[in-house]
Amino acid sequence: MVAPLSDDTLALPGDGLREGVVNALRTALGDALLDVVLKPNDDLWVRVRTDAWRQAGLVLRDTVGCDYFCFLSAIDWMPSPYGKSEEDPTQPKEPIDLTVQQGYAGGDTRLQVFARVTNLAKHFGVTIKADVADAHPSIESWVTVYAGANWHERECHEMFGIGFDGHPDLRNMYLPTDFEGHPLRKDFPLLARMVKPWPGIADVEPLPGDDSEDEG
Amino acid sequence: MTDLADRQKLSYIAAQAADARLNVELETEGMTLNIGPQHPATHGTLRIIVRLDGEQVVWAEPSAGYMHRGYEKLTEVRTFPQVTALINRIDWLGSFANEVPFILAAEKLMDIEAPPRAQHIRTILFELSRIANVSLFLGDLGVQLGAVTPVFFAFRDREYVLNLIESATGGRFHPNFDRIGGLKDDLPAGWIAETKQVMKRLRAFCDEIEDLLFGNEIFQSRLRGIGVIPADVAKQYGLSGANLRASGVDWDLRRDQSLPLAWDKVDWKVWTHPDGDSFARCWIRLQETRESTKIVDQLLDTIPAGPIMAKVPRIIKVPEGEAWVSTENPLGEMGYYVVSKGDLGPFRVKIRSASFNNISIVPWVLRGVYVPDVISILASLYFILGDIDR
Amino acid sequence: MGLVDKGRMPKPLTSLFNMGRSYSMWVYQWGLACCAIEMGAAFGSPRYDVMRLGVIPLPASPRQADLVVVSGTVTDKMAPAIKRLYEQMPEPKYVISMGSCANCGGPYWDSYSVTKGVDQIIPVDVYVPGCPPRPEALLEGVVLLQQRIKREDMGARWRGEGYKPMVKEPIVVGGGPVE
Repeated sequence: MVAPLSDDTLALPGDGLREGVVNALRTALGDALLDVVLKPNDDLWVRVRTDAWRQAGLVLRDTVGCDYFCFLSAIDWMPSPYGKSEEDPTQPKEPIDLTVQQGYAGGDTRLQVFARVTNLAKHFGVTIKADVADAHPSIESWVTVYAGANWHERECHEMFGIGFDGHPDLRNMYLPTDFEGHPLRKDFPLLARMVKPWPGIADVEPLPGDDSEDEG
Repeated sequence: MTDLADRQKLSYIAAQAADARLNVELETEGMTLNIGPQHPATHGTLRIIVRLDGEQVVWAEPSAGYMHRGYEKLTEVRTFPQVTALINRIDWLGSFANEVPFILAAEKLMDIEAPPRAQHIRTILFELSRIANVSLFLGDLGVQLGAVTPVFFAFRDREYVLNLIESATGGRFHPNFDRIGGLKDDLPAGWIAETKQVMKRLRAFCDEIEDLLFGNEIFQSRLRGIGVIPADVAKQYGLSGANLRASGVDWDLRRDQSLPLAWDKVDWKVWTHPDGDSFARCWIRLQETRESTKIVDQLLDTIPAGPIMAKVPRIIKVPEGEAWVSTENPLGEMGYYVVSKGDLGPFRVKIRSASFNNISIVPWVLRGVYVPDVISILASLYFILGDIDR
Repeated sequence: MGLVDKGRMPKPLTSLFNMGRSYSMWVYQWGLACCAIEMGAAFGSPRYDVMRLGVIPLPASPRQADLVVVSGTVTDKMAPAIKRLYEQMPEPKYVISMGSCANCGGPYWDSYSVTKGVDQIIPVDVYVPGCPPRPEALLEGVVLLQQRIKREDMGARWRGEGYKPMVKEPIVVGGGPVE
């Protein structure tokens, strides 16, 4: 158990405080803290090893003081094999680059779990990410750390097919029982769009005071 | 103080024991009661399955998903300006408020900021949608407890606010008025004077509701001490907005974070209540409606001159990056985690809606309450189905 | 009522019955999404006041209702409940589909979980377009439905000829004159 953040750190403004948070996380987690992105005057992203996910939650709750659970979800970093419906449907389709490229704080896998917790007293939040394996995606549950994670993990399980070890009740919550697939994975097709393609991006409205540029 | 608490605990245990004895004597069996998916008391299509022992709830489970429309997937196949038309409909009572955090997140990624006049008008419309939203809650609250009159009052006075929103934006319900870099249009002539009139009327409405409901003895006895949520539980479940402030946590995103909006330019108060019960949640919302009318009044006096739109390219491409912006919406913290890959549309949008967290506490808070209180607790937690299911 | 047994009906009696039916409609409110609030404004607010049209918006159950207003997004999970509700209603029954979502899926036309129009599950008599339609539009839909009911041939219904689908051409509010 690492002691909570010192008062000196808590008294620091914005980015200084976030650096203190990063130091606290590094002390507590050691090399399980894989990557940190600190955008000045904006926000803090950290990535932890998959097996340290629950421990990182405990550290965030008890040491850093982020006792407010904001959300938990996942990202599928693979570009959609069906394109983004921005292409001109009359043109032949260009091949889509399916290289997986992760965002802030990096990553090694296609699927990533991410969550956000907030320190209400000091008004800062931390976005924490962790990789989950591609083959049998699963990660430890946060339910015992933040009770509110229960529904978020159920949603995540339904939408991405990610398992949460230790979750008491991973039932589906949104979709009808006979629904197949995980809709938020990028390789889940929207059938209505397959049948009737979107007629391109003919959606540019003139801006106020922008008349002169209409012709150009 | 401890004596009193101990005595209360003892009397509670005694009551429980008496209940248990009664149940043994009468040989009551458990019963499952299914409320919903379409039920007048659940405003929306939330279905709640409660298992009862006599009159007491042993176990409760909300079953969501009857309004799941797949927003997060749909945002991935739309461009940034198209997304705002969609997300209006998440919390359909305070629709303009839904647009603002998303637009702010996109602006953050593009590193642009709306001109001061647009920020000001955004804040005004934000507060107007809060009033439109919460005033319906105040009226609906009566219906949940068996008083039908307040809802007529609410619909009557809410109509004035909707007319204001319509005259400014063109849409009664779903304005789709916020643009990346500013607003679609400026305010129409005469709007400011009319808004001031309406705000006066809304304050009268709040007084009316306070007289009708909050002072009422039945109302108080139905809500006081019912459905108590302590602050640490509320935070663990991620309750936000009035539900969190009613548990004594002094936290309001309008005050506690710096956004390019105009709340810091006016004088207003964040209300909290130490009790954490249903009454506290309702009372906070009443006070907040009053506060909102004050905010709007002050903002109307200080609208700066200038353009309402920053210079943005005609076809909006948002640079690569990730951004999280949340605002204090009528129902609580609503935020968007936007991931962009430099395309016309977002790569992934995680929508953190307030009601989802607010209602996830239901299994916890309903355990042990009596059947009539189920409805009043749900009413006081205040959710919009579209905001739960998205 | 020998005539009625034979399935014939004197004209004055028909119009009397039809008038009675059209001005005492019990309407069941199947509010689902945003449109439910506008329906609430139309049916429950003093400004729009639907009761002046002879519509009673507060039946205790669908078994008591003549008309159902499906307002809002119909999801695949909700669809069985709507079908069951419709089957519970006694004949003759009418359906108003309110809002773009109930008409055709609306802004969720490409969603994986939304039914693209309630008419895929139950027959619809009146479509009220809009997202959401104003309360006045819903009232217009009710008035147009009443006009149609007044022209119905009760005799045909009793002979079993004009039984479902009575709907020949659905009415679209704002889509031109009826019939």
